[in-house]
Amino acid sequence: MFEELSNIRKALPTLRSFRNLSPLARREFRLGILFLSPWIIGFLAFTLLPMLATLFFSFLNLRITDGILSTPDFAGLENYKQLFKDPQIWSTATTPGSLWITIKFGLIALPIGIFLPLGIAVLMNNKRLKGPFFFRSMFYMPYIVPFVAAVFLWGGMLNSESGWINRSLLSLGIPKESLPLWVNDVNWVYPSYVIMGIWGIGNAMLIMLAGLQGVPTELYDAATVDGANSWQTFWKVTFPMISPVIFYNVVLSVVGLFQYFLVPLVVNFGNGNPGGATYFYNLYLYKTFFTFQNMSYGSALAWFLFAVILLVTIVLFSTAKYWVYYAGESR
Amino acid sequence: MKKLLYVLSLLVIASLVLTACGGGQPTAATQPPAQATEPPAEATEPPAEATEPPAGEPTAVPPSPTLTPYPVAECQGGKVCIRWFVGLGTGTDAPQIKTQEEVVADFNASQSEIQLILEIIPYNSARDTLSTQIASGAGPDIVGPVGWGGSNDFYGQWLDIGSQIAESGFDISIFDPALIKFYQTEEGQVGLPFAVFPGAMYFVPAMFDEAGLAYPPQKYGEKYVLDGAEVDWNWETITELARRLTVDVNGFDATQDGFDPTKIVQVGYNPQWQSIQSVGTFYGGAEILYTGDAKGSYQSTIPDSWKEAYQWYYDGMWGEKPFIATGPLSGSPEFGAGNVFNSGKAAMGLTQTWYTCCLGDFRDAGNEFQLGIQPIGANGEVAGRVDADTFRIWKGTKNPNAAFTVLAYLITTGADKLLPVYGAMPAVPSKTQAFFDQKSKDYPFVTKESWDVFVQGLAYPDAPTSEQYLPNSIKANARFATFMNLLNNTPDLDFDTEYQKLVDDLNSIYNE
Repeated sequence: MFEELSNIRKALPTLRSFRNLSPLARREFRLGILFLSPWIIGFLAFTLLPMLATLFFSFLNLRITDGILSTPDFAGLENYKQLFKDPQIWSTATTPGSLWITIKFGLIALPIGIFLPLGIAVLMNNKRLKGPFFFRSMFYMPYIVPFVAAVFLWGGMLNSESGWINRSLLSLGIPKESLPLWVNDVNWVYPSYVIMGIWGIGNAMLIMLAGLQGVPTELYDAATVDGANSWQTFWKVTFPMISPVIFYNVVLSVVGLFQYFLVPLVVNFGNGNPGGATYFYNLYLYKTFFTFQNMSYGSALAWFLFAVILLVTIVLFSTAKYWVYYAGESR
Repeated sequence: MKKLLYVLSLLVIASLVLTACGGGQPTAATQPPAQATEPPAEATEPPAEATEPPAGEPTAVPPSPTLTPYPVAECQGGKVCIRWFVGLGTGTDAPQIKTQEEVVADFNASQSEIQLILEIIPYNSARDTLSTQIASGAGPDIVGPVGWGGSNDFYGQWLDIGSQIAESGFDISIFDPALIKFYQTEEGQVGLPFAVFPGAMYFVPAMFDEAGLAYPPQKYGEKYVLDGAEVDWNWETITELARRLTVDVNGFDATQDGFDPTKIVQVGYNPQWQSIQSVGTFYGGAEILYTGDAKGSYQSTIPDSWKEAYQWYYDGMWGEKPFIATGPLSGSPEFGAGNVFNSGKAAMGLTQTWYTCCLGDFRDAGNEFQLGIQPIGANGEVAGRVDADTFRIWKGTKNPNAAFTVLAYLITTGADKLLPVYGAMPAVPSKTQAFFDQKSKDYPFVTKESWDVFVQGLAYPDAPTSEQYLPNSIKANARFATFMNLLNNTPDLDFDTEYQKLVDDLNSIYNE
């Protein structure tokens, strides 16, 4: 990541190089900046400034109590100290903490979220597949359904009383008492969420497919000549060649998982049930901020999340050199 | 130029860092967890639970935001200006605004000393606006209509109008004394009755006929006739009735052998859109839920009768002879996705007057309902509930007497115009006829005796209200809601452990 940033830094003109530009190039540069300015202004006003504001808030004691905004006293690191001993974040002997809940769900969802679309993409890429366009469309189609609508639909389908999934299981002779309660069962709620997530793998599948189609066919020919079987071909040729795409998906998925929010909010009303199992970190952050109206602590939670995501992302990037293959680089 | 480039470079780098590290929009190639990348769109409350009322306030007309800032009138010199803040409850719909403007004009025309100024704030931003105004010392003089929930969000900010009532000689005998007491809190007399929503037992006569059961009584003090014997109209009776009225797909009721609790097609009872505090109040009577007067000393005091109520409620859903729809069942489309009584699949539903807002589907399907009295609670007395909207005076007002003059006008003369447009039942019994005339047009099958149940219900408010103030109220109420959700959705619950957890959590939340 830092390497990429450094490259970008290099790409930007210094004062000297700017002076060395031709008048035309300078004009183009100015125009470029002009065209970028709406985004820059938007970024400043709606991203950077709020972020800096939350950083500032996190050192205050700013909250609304009984409808009244408190006097913004300087609180130093109090919010961060509170954060590190907050039982809602860190697991106790009896209750799971939000951070662990998030990580636990991630450990379940991430492999499925990476390998399932990859597997489907491999199938889609098979030359013997009849009607590939039809299947691609079918797999992609759920992705265009507005996500909240899809979550509501899934909530209905997974209703333990009236959902057609349980009704189907019932009609197959499974006793009612053995049917899963899905989102209302602490053991089934994560699988339920994963199932809902699978609904939208079309986009990942499409990107994986694009990666697969970019693998040079000569490499497969060479592998065939060398006597590689299909499994060896996949692991020795395909996987390394599409590893940047997989890496890209892994990074985005990890970031997304730490921000997991909408499904527990809509399906389980954001109250953590069943048994606190759905009180994800980001949900706790949201409720602290907008429901409990504790702006300062919410800000501290947000920055802690930012730090955790940054750390995990750095770790991921540091592992990239061991398994991600970039053509043209000596790795 | 160098500086500019430097700044731009920093911006680009920062944006890339942010994008890479999670600040950006979802590009989520992987969708499995990809929901995570959906923007946390609603900064508003999560969708209401199946068991929650449709809106935060009990007012019958759902508030909708005004689209453009409301033009506030200028304060004329020589008059005391009183600002009337509307937005915490109903009152922001266009027809309501028009009527409120008429009331303001009427008042101003009748006055040479006071000028009433209307301020309409969209519901979604009203709390923030009022917070800001109060924090800056520029709060309005009068706020309302507002229910208990909205008022408690600003606990400690309301004027005790006891002295204004006494000094002005305002005749409070026009109200039921129980309703006057209803507005006496530890803050003092914080309001006077205006719009009220008393509770009643909505029931479906056809279901009672089918089960061969007598209808619920319609006058307080009357007994119920069950199997030829007169019995008290209490929760024991209602439980028995509800079981007989709960029917499975094979036509068995919950008291019969062969009843299949997994295939219920009709439930006997539904606490329609009631909070868990409301369930406790109806069952065990109104109680104060905490003791203590400062952070560190607060303690939860949920009464034993409420614990009993919660156990009863839970057993009613998940026990051997269920008679209340579980969370999944009440959330199913067949049972109205939360609006169970409206789905025509519940024989009885205890709720308030405002629920007449939401029975259109029920009526259009050819169903009919009537109203019975609220039952006797665990303490042997009628444990009623009254939701209510009124006007409050901000305690920081510079003109408390003038503000009270306006308040008195709004709840009496002004009420004649305001109440119909708010869709609310008047707190003054002599003014209720117009309200029921309108309701009779909506539900022509409801008898006069039924409507009268609401009027009688005014004598049984819950004081303290089940929507009473709790320390750290938003979080405390959220914890109660979580507990209710747990009861609704969890079979084989270790009830005692979960209840104790609720109490422990509340003790902690109250003192945060």
